[in-house]
Amino acid sequence: MNSKSGNGNRKIVIGIIGLVVLIGLFVIVYNVFREKPVEGSKSITIEVVNRAEEKTSYELKTDAEYLRQAMEEAEGLTFSGAESEYGMMVETVNDETADYNVDGAYWGFFVNGEYCNYGIDTQPVEDGDVFSIVYTIGE
Amino acid sequence: MTEYERVRGQSEQAIQNIPEKRNGKRPEIQVKKQGKYGKLTIRDMTLIGLIVAILEVCKAALSFLPNIELVSFWIILFTFFFHKKIFFAIPAFVLIEGLIYGFGMWWFSYLYVWPLLALVSYLFRRQESVWFWSILSSVFGLFFGFMCAISYAAVGVVDGGLRSGLHTGFVWWVAGIKMDIIHAVGNFVLMMVLYHPVSMSMKKLVSTYTFDSSI
Repeated sequence: MNSKSGNGNRKIVIGIIGLVVLIGLFVIVYNVFREKPVEGSKSITIEVVNRAEEKTSYELKTDAEYLRQAMEEAEGLTFSGAESEYGMMVETVNDETADYNVDGAYWGFFVNGEYCNYGIDTQPVEDGDVFSIVYTIGE
Repeated sequence: MTEYERVRGQSEQAIQNIPEKRNGKRPEIQVKKQGKYGKLTIRDMTLIGLIVAILEVCKAALSFLPNIELVSFWIILFTFFFHKKIFFAIPAFVLIEGLIYGFGMWWFSYLYVWPLLALVSYLFRRQESVWFWSILSSVFGLFFGFMCAISYAAVGVVDGGLRSGLHTGFVWWVAGIKMDIIHAVGNFVLMMVLYHPVSMSMKKLVSTYTFDSSI
């Protein structure tokens, strides 16, 4: 009986240790492979293409690690949205609101012509990046 | 003639018209057997409906907490008690999720992630250790992002080849590891706290309502 109980306890301990090791491995993978922001002075461009397809460009030098901070630094660029667990979901840019519920419209974010893989709170900023914020109507 | 007699009379007339009855043989009720799934009863279907409702309500109730969810807990518990019936509830749950939140890329990963959890739980259904289930639930939470990344990788492979697909899946998985760790810790704690009280209550309910775990 005691032997069985001891065996069970040992399995539990092994299981817990295995779980902790797994989590540790995941932390290492995250720290090694995650997209790292580049620190220092960076020159970037933020373009806003509104519903009428008019383009407004903002060129700035920034130390921002992530796009949201860079957008906040861009003079003349205003934006707002709903905060979520993934960061801000941008709904309004330069006083123009894209309402998905009305006509499927949203603000699409691109970096150097590629669709952004991250929200503005986690999208890294690198020197020379060109960000495009495009009023897009979903199909 | 009352309405009851009229309907009854029609029924008897209908039976008289069955060819076998006319031949003097006992009319055979044509219930087409549909393999093992043919044994689902009304009670089973009600139970499956309840399971789906509980999954949806609990998911919605905790949606304000990032990656803290009770769906894993319930799927494990329901598999524990109702065995294969969970495999009827999960498709309904996944379909409703899609109808509520839209059929995005994440939805396709739901098609295999939740059944996989149920399958693993089914294989270990004889386990009763709260530690075992807490660790299993936690590992599931930890690998949730990895499993979902498979569908993103598949789309990447179709779009830009194997290398591009694997890169897409890997980047997507790594970006969400922080959330997966929260998921793992949440699942572990929820299972540790809820396993005993909920499984005891369910044992009582199952014996009271004589739910059959077989299909």
